[in-house]
Amino acid sequence: MSSIPWQFPSFPGLPSLRRAVGERVLRWARKRQGTDRHQTRLHSKRIYILPTGVGLVFALMSFAMLLGSMNYNNNLSFVLTFLLAGLGLVSMHQCQRNLVGLELRFAGVDPVFAGQSAKFRIAITNRSKNSRYHIQLYAGTVLSEVQDLGPGDSRVFQLPLPTEKRGHITLERFGIRTLFPFELFRSWAWLHMDLQGLVYPRPAAEAPEPPPTQSAHGHRQHDARGEEDFAGLRRFQDGDSPRHVAWKAYARSGELFSKQFAGADTSSQWFDFDHVDTEDLEQRLSVMTRWIINADRTHRDYGVRIPGSEFPPAHGESHRHACLEALAVFNGGHVNG
Amino acid sequence: MVKRTGTDGSLLASLPWTLAALAFSLAPHVQFLPVWITVAFLACAGWRWDIERHRRALPRPWLRVVLALVCFLGVLASYESVSGVGPGSALLAIMAALKLLETRKRRDQFVLLFISIFLVMASLLREQYLWSLPYLILAVVLTMTAWLRMSLADDGGETSVKQSFKTAGRLMLYATPLMLAMWILFPRIATPFWAIPVDTSSATSGLSDRMSPGDISSLSLSDAVAFRVKFDGDAPDPIDRYWRGLVLYRFNGRTWSGWEPIMARSAREELLVAGEPVRYQVTMEPTRQQWVFALDIPFEWSRSEIFMGPQHQLAKEQPIDQRMAYQATSYTRYQITPKMTSYSRTRYTRLPAKSNPRTVELAQSMRRASEDDESFAKAVLQRFHEEEYFYTLRPPALGSNPVDRFMFDTRRGFCEHYASAFAVMMRAVGIPSRIVLGYQGGEMNPMGRYLIVRQADAHAWTEIWLPNRGWHRVDPTAAVAPERIEFGITGAMLSGIAASWGLAAPIAFVHRMGLTWDALNAKWNDWILGYGPDKQDSFLEWLGMDEPDWRKMMLTLTFLIAALVGLISLVLMMRYRPPPKDHAALLYKKFTRKAGLVPNCGETPQDYASRLGQDGEELAAGADRVTAQYLSARYGPPNPAAMDLLRAAVAGFKN
Repeated sequence: MSSIPWQFPSFPGLPSLRRAVGERVLRWARKRQGTDRHQTRLHSKRIYILPTGVGLVFALMSFAMLLGSMNYNNNLSFVLTFLLAGLGLVSMHQCQRNLVGLELRFAGVDPVFAGQSAKFRIAITNRSKNSRYHIQLYAGTVLSEVQDLGPGDSRVFQLPLPTEKRGHITLERFGIRTLFPFELFRSWAWLHMDLQGLVYPRPAAEAPEPPPTQSAHGHRQHDARGEEDFAGLRRFQDGDSPRHVAWKAYARSGELFSKQFAGADTSSQWFDFDHVDTEDLEQRLSVMTRWIINADRTHRDYGVRIPGSEFPPAHGESHRHACLEALAVFNGGHVNG
Repeated sequence: MVKRTGTDGSLLASLPWTLAALAFSLAPHVQFLPVWITVAFLACAGWRWDIERHRRALPRPWLRVVLALVCFLGVLASYESVSGVGPGSALLAIMAALKLLETRKRRDQFVLLFISIFLVMASLLREQYLWSLPYLILAVVLTMTAWLRMSLADDGGETSVKQSFKTAGRLMLYATPLMLAMWILFPRIATPFWAIPVDTSSATSGLSDRMSPGDISSLSLSDAVAFRVKFDGDAPDPIDRYWRGLVLYRFNGRTWSGWEPIMARSAREELLVAGEPVRYQVTMEPTRQQWVFALDIPFEWSRSEIFMGPQHQLAKEQPIDQRMAYQATSYTRYQITPKMTSYSRTRYTRLPAKSNPRTVELAQSMRRASEDDESFAKAVLQRFHEEEYFYTLRPPALGSNPVDRFMFDTRRGFCEHYASAFAVMMRAVGIPSRIVLGYQGGEMNPMGRYLIVRQADAHAWTEIWLPNRGWHRVDPTAAVAPERIEFGITGAMLSGIAASWGLAAPIAFVHRMGLTWDALNAKWNDWILGYGPDKQDSFLEWLGMDEPDWRKMMLTLTFLIAALVGLISLVLMMRYRPPPKDHAALLYKKFTRKAGLVPNCGETPQDYASRLGQDGEELAAGADRVTAQYLSARYGPPNPAAMDLLRAAVAGFKN
């Protein structure tokens, strides 16, 4: 499991104090709000707001202008000062309202290999008749892009979380924030959806050839040949790569066919945990990951055997995912308990 | 060596607006600033824009430091100081220009926009005209639009320029009631915290504290307003409208002087007044002088810092740097009866020896021919009236012994010449005399029902002391050109010009427009610019607050702001509320609650019904019925009965 460094947004003070207070506040917010559903509408009670640095400077400037106006007894400077003060107050409410009522929906996260970033997708919908501006998601130091949402718009925001280790990555908490209108205030909400993503093991940069295994036909594996050698069509089966769908044939007949390539050896190959030539668990999983990636690229059938589970030879997206997931969550072959 | 990277063009969307806001804020300063500052600002703005457009690098740091140093020294050299509105606005303009050259990121422009706001503030400290209010509102809208342009979404987002402008305008609209509440209720204080630096660079207009014939001629043509007067009742007759300003008694043969801002407690006790009092309020334009104008003769006045001097003229403790309003009560029938001690008699009769000998000689011979002092004075006036003396605004220059030259050679002059000559003639025979400077007349503005007294109405007259009457006003100019005294100089000149050119109607129209504009300005000065502690108290009392003090004001203000903010929050809530739920959807939700099964995300009603139907035949039938009605009510052709059928189906559904 990875965790993300979390910083309390723009909180003044010493770093250690800031962290301690920040953590307390976060715990309090979590306790107060509970766990959110994967589709959550932002209620005004859970939106927090604090002035930004610019906001503090703005307040200071307004105060200086007030002193100046009082000193000169200048009624037009009073107009200017109070107009700015009024704008400050209005922008505070506008800033908070810019978030209220937005609907956030978890839109999935694709599995990644360790070291890549897991892109958590959150769809945000603005059901009101007016635009919401300058919306951003964040998780710790990870920021999404800043986007505007027009009336009735729904947009997907991505939070690319860095990953280190295989297994599940949990996004316990993320925030949504806005600086609209004048960046004088930052209003934000924390969401605790307990989102989980899967991190496959990091593929080994260089892997030895998989040890020869007896195929179902009893002869040794041939070298893989290129994909270029088109061999024919066969009816689409679950697990066939969409890249190999013969779209032209589909347009003619209305049925889905997969292209078959001469290089795609239909004979099967086994990747066995116990046959990897290294002692280190993570290293073994990395090597196996690399084998699976390579085999998948060449569309060969492959089976995976790890202590506790076995995946008979097959190919395709779902097979690849099943095998890699098993490697991702593999706990070393110890029986649970 | 610092690596120089080019700009990335990220400022293209916001920089023009920042520049526009800065230029707009700087515009009212341009006429007061040295030209090089405006040029420097424009050059830096153009340079920065060019850099951004062509993705060039910003100028090197050392160059920026050198430029900053040069500009700062330039401001010092131009102003010899860095405090006050003039150098302050110059420094702000320079800071903006130099900051532009180091602005790399979008957010760096915050500083520029703060400078823009301070520039607007500085222009208000400099001058507050009627158009300053729309100007400042526009400037704030422009600055706030630039502010919005600066924080756009990454991809530019939804926001067009028009939309930014509208958003800024909308937020301004919300802020306006807050501004009004604060403006009306924020307690005004009478005394400043720190001394106000006086901007001596701008020219003053008005009277001077010395008079040598010739000075007033330039004033006679100036249309500038000296003060405005609002009378409680009827205005006094034009002939009684003598506005006493300062009194001069020291004469060196050429120049009258001797005005001093000294308080004389006994001066008011020397006044004997009769008849109806005239109550009025004067709003004086700043003069940077201490004298205060009042109708002859002031008897009561409102401000504690105004006092009466020994020659019965009003003055203020500090120079009048801001427009000032005061109430006063005067009597047009009065006597000034001080004791004429030998000391004062010497003071008011002194003439320099051997100056203006012909005039002295003439006076002495005329006195011998007269019965008493009063008939002598009348004889002198008679001489001005009957002999060839002319009233002109452009008298010839007078050499040494100017009074002699005027009396016997040129015989042309305006009020100063006549007043000076008359006073000298009086002194020549030992009658105490002094010169009063002030204004005479004024124009009644029918739009606002107040009197406008302009610089062109400046006047000089004399006072002589007679044993049985005290100080007595004599206006020798009246003996020469009586119509000028009747109507004031504006009316006299205007009707003369208009009649001679046959342009009476259009000129009268233009004049009336001018009067309307002046009436607006007077209201503006009175109510907006003059809203000080006294006005605030009386206005709040009028609104119903008893005995307003700052605590009550702040308390009321706090409540009012809370209420207004609540209202604004409500408006915003309505603005962002989701569209009302469909009636059919609400009924369907009731059905799902009854069924006790939460629909999955993205599940269609049919799928939901079949999932529900797995629990039994009867349930399935009920669910199908509701689903069918729901689909027809929500998505089918419009049918008023469909909703009732759905309601019945939901009501009939049993789990």
